[in-house]
Amino acid sequence: VKVVVARVEDFGPGDRKIVKAGSRSIGVFRVEDDFFAIRNRCPHQGGPLCIGRLASWARADLPGQVRMDGPPRLVACPWHGWEYDLETGQSFMGPGETRVKAYDVSVERGDALGEDVRHAEEQPVRIPAAAQEAGREPGPYIAETFSVYVEEDYVVLDV
Amino acid sequence: MGVAERAVVTAAIDCDLHVAPASMEVLLPYLDDYWRSYIDDATIRMGGIAYPVGAPTTGPAPAATYEDLVPVLDAAQPQRAILSCLTLDGVHRNPHYAVVVARAVNDWIRDEFLAKDDRLRAGMVVSALDVPAAAEEVQRLGPDGRYAQILMPVRNDVPYGNKLYHPIYEAAQAHGLPLALHAWGRGGHAPTTTGVTTTYLEDYASNAHIAEVQVLSLVAEGVFAAFPELKVAFLECGFTWLPAHLWRFDKDWKGVWREVPWVSERPSEYVRRHMRFTTEPAQLPQDAAQIAEVVQMVGAEMLMYASDHPHDHGGAGAALIEHLGAQDAEAVLRGNAAAFYGKAVA
Repeated sequence: VKVVVARVEDFGPGDRKIVKAGSRSIGVFRVEDDFFAIRNRCPHQGGPLCIGRLASWARADLPGQVRMDGPPRLVACPWHGWEYDLETGQSFMGPGETRVKAYDVSVERGDALGEDVRHAEEQPVRIPAAAQEAGREPGPYIAETFSVYVEEDYVVLDV
Repeated sequence: MGVAERAVVTAAIDCDLHVAPASMEVLLPYLDDYWRSYIDDATIRMGGIAYPVGAPTTGPAPAATYEDLVPVLDAAQPQRAILSCLTLDGVHRNPHYAVVVARAVNDWIRDEFLAKDDRLRAGMVVSALDVPAAAEEVQRLGPDGRYAQILMPVRNDVPYGNKLYHPIYEAAQAHGLPLALHAWGRGGHAPTTTGVTTTYLEDYASNAHIAEVQVLSLVAEGVFAAFPELKVAFLECGFTWLPAHLWRFDKDWKGVWREVPWVSERPSEYVRRHMRFTTEPAQLPQDAAQIAEVVQMVGAEMLMYASDHPHDHGGAGAALIEHLGAQDAEAVLRGNAAAFYGKAVA
């Protein structure tokens, strides 16, 4: 479903808009000329993620000599400060924690599966290079992200 | 099997064996006229602020001569013993005096002990009251090869992560010498980070949380980003506090990492790579299963044996060694220190 968010000319660099798409609240962010859309619900404890502060990755090889690495592409939940990468939704808090829902998994013979079976697509964990360089490990929480793009004069969200 | 019996199986590297000149007179030949007169005018005496005479922890006087030390070595049969002399950390704040006394102590320990027994090594003392002079002392003695570490008190005026200490660390790294932070400090140093305490009990127990502050400071302020080869030993500061402290350190770093982006790994990784802790005093539970749990949480690879002779902290250090498996016991008694100090104890 395509949802028109705004006219591009009304959506400047650094702006964000929080929109309702069906029952979901989604934050749309413009970082320079890139648009990102992420669910306005922090996977940690349900906080309003998209009203949080934006920040860049920071890098330093030596104490005190810090440079910001690119434009701000991390949003921090206002409740507990958990940061999520706008593009991938990945957080870097709590690596190794097991607070994710568990599903049953079993080994079965191929011919026992029958016709009505879907094959899962393997989903690689996407870790931004900046996160790796900062020594951060992906945590259990990934905020839901959505496709957002510019179509003609409009910013369009695909949900 | 006690430590002494085990030592026969594994000749230990003792990382903290105390010696001290019997009086200031012993150091006078290493000082010039002015400083001899200063010591006389100021009536400077050997101070014992950390271990009051007669207290159960104090034990007999540290060896003042090689002859005093021989029975200790005969009993323990160490492969190597690194001598610690804390005489420098008396009750004074004179940076000029600190420089010359540090040099005098280092020269005395060489002549009185190192020159007489191949098993002996020493911590070279330097004073934070004059950081450039401390770095010069490291440059002066680094090439000797018999000084295995740079001995400084764990209590100081400014935490050790501060940039002001970088010249010492630069010299230390250049000579492959670890920094060794020993419990206690100069008289007048508050035993806590919030002020002066009333009792010896508070003072004694404070060495652990002061060490915690230094662990935080060294990692958070980027010492290992600036000096990736530097190593730090904590002598006589305990180690059972490490698991909870490092868990908290890692956790909070994840939240405020942007303040310290030069910390590009979990803080505990720096601690595990750069730091070691001596076994005496050990603050351990009585129960063998609980001792095993503590060792598992801390990691036997983090611990290096120290007799801390002549000080007596009770039986926990010996209990620790007794409860280790053969491989871990060998590592704690010898192997970890051999790897940590490298050619200085080879």
